[in-house]
Amino acid sequence: MLVSLGAVVTALLLSVWQRRLWLGLTVIGAVAGLSAAIMVLRGVADWEWRSAFALGGEAIHLRLDGVSALFFALLSAVGGCGAVYASEYWSEHHYPESAPCGRAWWSALLLSMGLLLTVSNGLHFLIAWELFALFGFFLITLDRDQPEARAAGWLYLAASHAGTVCLFAFFSLLAVRTGSWDLGPMREQTALAPLFWLALVGFGVKAGFFPLHIWLPSAHANAPSHVSAIMSGVAIKMGLYGIVRFSGWLPVPPAAAWVVISLGGTSALLGIAFAFAQNDLKRLLAYSSVENMGVILTGVGAALLAVTHGNATWGVLALAGAMLHVWNHGAFKSLLFFGAGSVLHATGTREMSRLGGLWRAMPWTAGLFTIGILAVSSLPPLNGFISEWLVYLGLFDAVTSRNAAAWVAGAAAILLAMAGALALASFAKAGAMIFLGAPRTHVAEHARECGLGMRGPMLALAGVCVMIGFAPTLFWPVASRAVASWRPAWGTAETPGPLATLSAAQVTLAVLALAAAGWLWRNAHVNGLRRGLTWDCGYARPSARMQYVSAAFAGIVAGWFGWILQPERKMRRPRGLFPVEAIRLERVPEAVLERVITPVGSVIMVAATSARRLQHGRLQFYVLYVVAGLIALGLLVILKGVR
Amino acid sequence: MNRILELILRLGVWLLLAPLLPGIINKVKAWVAGRRGPPVLQLYYDLAKLWRKGVVMSTLASPGFIAGPAVAWVALTGAALLMPLGPAGSALSFRGDVLLLIYLLALARFCTAWAAMETGSAFEGMGAAREVSYAVLAEATIIAAVLSLSVQTRSVSLMTMLSPAAGAGAVLLAAGLFTVLLAENCRVPFDDPNTHLELTMIHEVMVLDHSGPPFAAILHGASVKLLLFAVLLVQAVLPMGKLSAPTAVGVLIAGVLVVTVCVGLVESLSARLAFRRVPLLLTTAFLLCLFALLIAWRGGAA
Repeated sequence: MLVSLGAVVTALLLSVWQRRLWLGLTVIGAVAGLSAAIMVLRGVADWEWRSAFALGGEAIHLRLDGVSALFFALLSAVGGCGAVYASEYWSEHHYPESAPCGRAWWSALLLSMGLLLTVSNGLHFLIAWELFALFGFFLITLDRDQPEARAAGWLYLAASHAGTVCLFAFFSLLAVRTGSWDLGPMREQTALAPLFWLALVGFGVKAGFFPLHIWLPSAHANAPSHVSAIMSGVAIKMGLYGIVRFSGWLPVPPAAAWVVISLGGTSALLGIAFAFAQNDLKRLLAYSSVENMGVILTGVGAALLAVTHGNATWGVLALAGAMLHVWNHGAFKSLLFFGAGSVLHATGTREMSRLGGLWRAMPWTAGLFTIGILAVSSLPPLNGFISEWLVYLGLFDAVTSRNAAAWVAGAAAILLAMAGALALASFAKAGAMIFLGAPRTHVAEHARECGLGMRGPMLALAGVCVMIGFAPTLFWPVASRAVASWRPAWGTAETPGPLATLSAAQVTLAVLALAAAGWLWRNAHVNGLRRGLTWDCGYARPSARMQYVSAAFAGIVAGWFGWILQPERKMRRPRGLFPVEAIRLERVPEAVLERVITPVGSVIMVAATSARRLQHGRLQFYVLYVVAGLIALGLLVILKGVR
Repeated sequence: MNRILELILRLGVWLLLAPLLPGIINKVKAWVAGRRGPPVLQLYYDLAKLWRKGVVMSTLASPGFIAGPAVAWVALTGAALLMPLGPAGSALSFRGDVLLLIYLLALARFCTAWAAMETGSAFEGMGAAREVSYAVLAEATIIAAVLSLSVQTRSVSLMTMLSPAAGAGAVLLAAGLFTVLLAENCRVPFDDPNTHLELTMIHEVMVLDHSGPPFAAILHGASVKLLLFAVLLVQAVLPMGKLSAPTAVGVLIAGVLVVTVCVGLVESLSARLAFRRVPLLLTTAFLLCLFALLIAWRGGAA
């Protein structure tokens, strides 16, 4: 553990000058951190470290328990992979100016997140939180020449601080009521329960669930891809960590479970509806993160629901599913963002309707991206299915228990099912638009495969996806250890029997699918395989422009969700016998940001501007203000005296 | 040894009997229209012919064009093995197997849509877009139906869920599941399996460019899926667990035949819906299953 910290700190110091040394040290730090986290997760004891050194009047106290170790392992894995990826993706060769800064901020971000997960003192938590938000900002705006990146960075910073305000209130009130900054289990102090709402909003902004996600799509889309990967895979999980942590340590109000589970269901469905309607690949991935946070939150909500219903055992399943989904989402979303980065690197565009047919030029990226797609659509035999299956099982058990919990659990299960089907649709679209068919533009035609430095991390993450999918029983103890830390009353649960059967079924499915594909391939070749033009009902000269594009693919569902997506259309129909042009442009705005936050913001802006007229620099008027103020005060005193 | 023999027998039943269903549907349609129609075994002849044929593959297509149908076929067969067959039970049964079944169907859908998009054709893109979009409502309906069965039997495993009768909500559940059957298997009124050159199809348009053995896998997989839904519908509604084994088998076969004939009759007597009406019908199916769920709930409370 300390090795890990040391290595990352040294890496941070050296990062600006020594590229190789930085990479080596970061990887060593990541491996050390990962092994420390795994040691905590496999054992029973928590890791603790107290220092005599005090910061802000509070002694430093680090602790790694089941919940934080789970997030810490994810951070180490994605942090290490991202560092390797960045050394090729954001290298000195391509970005001579920002590459050294990128390395420094990367190490700093890892360090701040690591601290955030380990400190057990409210004041230090706030410090780490603030540092983490700042370093995130610097990484998002690494490419400072892009106006979009700068705008996204500012939006991120503003939203992040809006959340931090709530957290300041939360931690100060907590410290006032408990009399110390120390954090730890205090479930019996029921007076603390209302504080949960502050934590939910404060951490919720970072976790990016609907409708607090406003900063997320633009920040994740405009950041460099390795930064998007860690933001989406790990950084938003820090918000989730806060919610899980403090819903476990503090008592929660009775309505919390209902609110959390409904937030989860809504985020899942609306997040993925927005994702489906996007034409920008990285924006699609970002919105899919909103969906996945919704899935995780549904699991957490179900666990809270179980707690209010007498610690029912289905809560264990739902929370274990949610915890496993934290890892799963971290793995496949980082993989997908790395893949998106590789596509962006090769073609220079994120617009899916300008790509196409990339599988030929980039077989590795295409194959690995497809694994990510299968995982994120939670299809068997990969990892996404395992965690969703656990969450579903928890919800189903809640429904069959037929008490008051059943209503909300049933609704959540239906929302999850719809979100799952939409996720499949979104990612079928994304994969097909980028990698299949004919190249739609010149850039897509001349793409080149990424190098080993970018392929390696993608391979590793795809390996994690496959491993969790094939052997979930190996990973159950991890999730159940986190559950035990969250609520000791549940203890470490035995591996559920069906999980072993399921893992056997998954492996069999994968083997049979490969065998069948091989057999069909062979048979087709034995019978004779001929290449011809796409038949398409007999077009003689199909062209790349005839292909279905992203917006068309999503058209049906975008219509259903038109009430919230509010798509903007610009259309010029073909006219006359020999039409010269026809245009149809469609853009899906950030509905919450552009339709709610921006109008409210502009009202405040107008009010503030009109108030500013009072301040114009003329001394006479200022004297008048002072006199008027004095008279008003005098009147107040006189009136008070009369009464 | 016994287990392997059983598995082979089970596979044989599913794989060999499935292509009968489209044949029966076509026969019913021909009968209603007063024609002689193709033989009931027509699909078997077609499959045998396709299996021996060569493949024409689009110049744009990747190996996924052939792998897609193969994986879809494996997924559908796997789903079929999870489905209990009356007294014979299922090949593999565990808590939560119903979710695996639903997601295997989703995997098959994904693979078919993926293979369709390989060709870079606008037609096939259209079909794939429709397939994955309408599946959203179909999936919600299936989950609602499964929830209602699960509430009623207090179980999450297909074997126990499907053995008692559906109770008071049986009619609603049957209507909802029958609509999903029509939608998921691309039958009238959602899709017209007869047309080939229309802009209005879902499934047929996705497989326009497939030929030879992969096409055979797609057709056979589709028939397995039809049989799967018919078996699910019959067992969800009828009290299979209360009957003696031979009767149960008889009832199951008769039930599947009735469902198949009904599909044929619907196909003969009604026209395909306009596309904007499709979500409406699917939403109706969803509401039917939701009401079945509510009834199961109240039934349990009373």
